[in-house]
Amino acid sequence: MIRPISLPQLTRVFTWTGILSIGGGRAAFFYEALVVRRRWLRTDEFLQDYTLAQLLPGPNVSNLAITLGHRLAGLPGATWALLAVIVPGLVVLLALATVYFGRGLTPTTVALMQGMAAAVVGLLLITSVRLMRPVLVNVRAIVIAVGTFAAVGPLHLNTALVLLVSAAVSVWLHRPGPRA
Amino acid sequence: MSDVLRMTWTFLWLSLLCVGGGVGVIPEMQRQVVQNHQWVTAREFVDGYTLAQLTPGPNMLIAAFVGYRAHGVPGALLATIAMFLPTSVMTLVVADRWRRWRGHPWAGAVERALAPVGMGLMAAGVYTLARSALHDVLTIGLALATAFVLAARWAPPTLVVVIAGLVGWLLRP
Repeated sequence: MIRPISLPQLTRVFTWTGILSIGGGRAAFFYEALVVRRRWLRTDEFLQDYTLAQLLPGPNVSNLAITLGHRLAGLPGATWALLAVIVPGLVVLLALATVYFGRGLTPTTVALMQGMAAAVVGLLLITSVRLMRPVLVNVRAIVIAVGTFAAVGPLHLNTALVLLVSAAVSVWLHRPGPRA
Repeated sequence: MSDVLRMTWTFLWLSLLCVGGGVGVIPEMQRQVVQNHQWVTAREFVDGYTLAQLTPGPNMLIAAFVGYRAHGVPGALLATIAMFLPTSVMTLVVADRWRRWRGHPWAGAVERALAPVGMGLMAAGVYTLARSALHDVLTIGLALATAFVLAARWAPPTLVVVIAGLVGWLLRP
């Protein structure tokens, strides 16, 4: 599908979203920026890219930038999206590393970080609720989602293994056929 | 083999273990960079992960932190490239093939099938983060207040997160 999104526009949005997504749960910030606010893609498209990014080996933020960037603007889109999410963080982290190995963490920093981490959980919660409506459309989708959640979350099973099994089961349940 | 090469190689194969989110690779990474090669201490590793979490960009930039400690800025750059480049190329190739298979009935089935899996994974991510981030009334209250403000769309997420950090700092006994 061809979308009217220019490279500078894409790079700007990925850079900002990358910079503003602090405290973990970065996929939620990208969902908010690309799907909720700009409507560059639909929820189900986002989730497909998100799952592909998780299924393939590699850090998931960079993989997500690549799958989303590629969907929005092909190879150049993927390349710029990747650089946009990595380079600013690398610069900031190097600066922080210099300070850290010189001085160490202060109690103020720790308190700030704890408050932000809590807020990110709130953001993720609301994002998950928004994602549910278009995805959990029938019983098999609900069973797959709940099963994946339970296995990876409370049961602490090996994520890679769970992904392979639940993706295989889900594909089988969604297989094309006369009934589909 | 020089230590720089050994470090680059270590991050390269660690990147291949990052399946379904970076947190899963943390135990093995700690074993490599703390116990086996002593590039950082256990304490530095935990603090580095926290800083990477706080910093914009992927948490796996922890590689840059370790690389910096071990071999300065060149070490940080090499560790980052090893962590991100090979897997990025792999993802790009698969994503590209995927677009071409689109018209196939099985491709549509796979796409519909992956959405609920992603939904479940995301919920599991919330669960895991919540277990480590919400440990008292203050943090639970901040999380609920954030969800409420964002549901009402009163402010963009980053602003809410920063304000929550400040509130957490002010109310901390």
